[in-house]
Amino acid sequence: MKIDVDLTICLLHGQCVIAAPEVFSFADDGSLVWVTDPDEGLRADAEAAADACPEQAIIIS
Amino acid sequence: MMQVADSFETLPFLDVADPNFSIRSQAVLNARDESWCAKTPYGLAVLRYDDVLKLLRHPTLRQGSYRWPTHVGVTGLFARWWENMLLSQEGENHARLRRMANPAFSPKLIKDLRPKFEILANRLIDGFAAKGECDFIAEFTEPYATGVICDLLGLPFEKWRELADIAGDMGLALGVTYKQDLATVDAATQKIFDYAEELVALRRAEPSDDFIGTLVKANEDKSKLNDQELLDMIVLAIFGGIDTTRNQLGLAMDMFIRHPDQWALLAEKPELARAAVEEVMRVRPTITWVTREATETFTYNDLEIPKGTTLHLFSQAACSDPTVFPNPEFDITAERNPHFGFGGGAHHCLGHFIARGDMTEALKLLAQRLKNPRFNGDVSWLPDSGNTGAIKMPIAFDPA
Repeated sequence: MKIDVDLTICLLHGQCVIAAPEVFSFADDGSLVWVTDPDEGLRADAEAAADACPEQAIIIS
Repeated sequence: MMQVADSFETLPFLDVADPNFSIRSQAVLNARDESWCAKTPYGLAVLRYDDVLKLLRHPTLRQGSYRWPTHVGVTGLFARWWENMLLSQEGENHARLRRMANPAFSPKLIKDLRPKFEILANRLIDGFAAKGECDFIAEFTEPYATGVICDLLGLPFEKWRELADIAGDMGLALGVTYKQDLATVDAATQKIFDYAEELVALRRAEPSDDFIGTLVKANEDKSKLNDQELLDMIVLAIFGGIDTTRNQLGLAMDMFIRHPDQWALLAEKPELARAAVEEVMRVRPTITWVTREATETFTYNDLEIPKGTTLHLFSQAACSDPTVFPNPEFDITAERNPHFGFGGGAHHCLGHFIARGDMTEALKLLAQRLKNPRFNGDVSWLPDSGNTGAIKMPIAFDPA
């Protein structure tokens, strides 16, 4: 599983951080960081994050 | 403390507590030219796009309207719900509730609802199209917004009037007369909870993967979503979805009546309906400001903002900010920066996929079936700030 975020449309609402805290988080400077190739076990969480993103900026492949 | 008072002293002042205050007034635009924020009787008003964008998700700010019942000195059923539901929660508790609620509001569920929105919109338009006139609120936006909730909850459409009345009575709690209206508010709140309990009992007996069914499934693990939280969430979906959509669609019609070329364009190009929803919410949102509260004293743009300060983020003023929108005129074909009509950050509107979906279907069909809409009598309005919209909107049109 590979995770990408389209940062040109991401508005940093942080809904992904709420939905999948083991995959997405905010760095100290407020920018979004994420695990680009998480364990298959985190797929449900990652998909929930992609679903919950108000801007639909998360791409899972 | 003197320093704080001094720094607020130099700011422009907006009397948002005055019932005649308009969020669309020249005073607001002048204040926005002068400063990124203004002083108000409640705290601060944030006026520019970049600052609203940053402060919507600022880590030192929490959602700000949780203390409303305390402010007006009221307790009771509505107050208990209001203070405990998702929007009033923060941190880990908020994250847990949001995680549990998300699947029920997923864009995947909306796909199944879209054909139902279309049937509902056409059915309502059929009811008045032939006479060439209607009260757009009573005959379309109110039954439509409530009918969507009926679809979502799996209730028959005929229940719409009852639900709309309950939501209307509960809504009195958000007005300045909450204390006087307490008995009405709490009676309506009791009714809505009775409804929610019935719906939950039905889905427990017969599991389903619709909206309520998805929430009931989340409730199987009580440590993740307990029984009270489940009911609170259902009540939020009902209450949060009715007035907002009713008002927003009325504001859309108001904008299009004032811009007939845009309405004709939408009729010709129905694929613009989704963009039309966004453009209406940019220039004429029903939620004209979003409320936040400082959890700590912090400094922003060289201004010291004391702990407990209320900040009203003026979504409407921000979205005509000339530095970001050099051509702010209503135009459904323009590429725009995102608006703040659904708030933002951790508390971004949970129901936005539904709202966007149902309003898109409604505008698409209305533009095709109601040609040359125009006002046909006096429009009655809610106050022009806070949550605004038309209460009555007589229109005439040429049936297509």
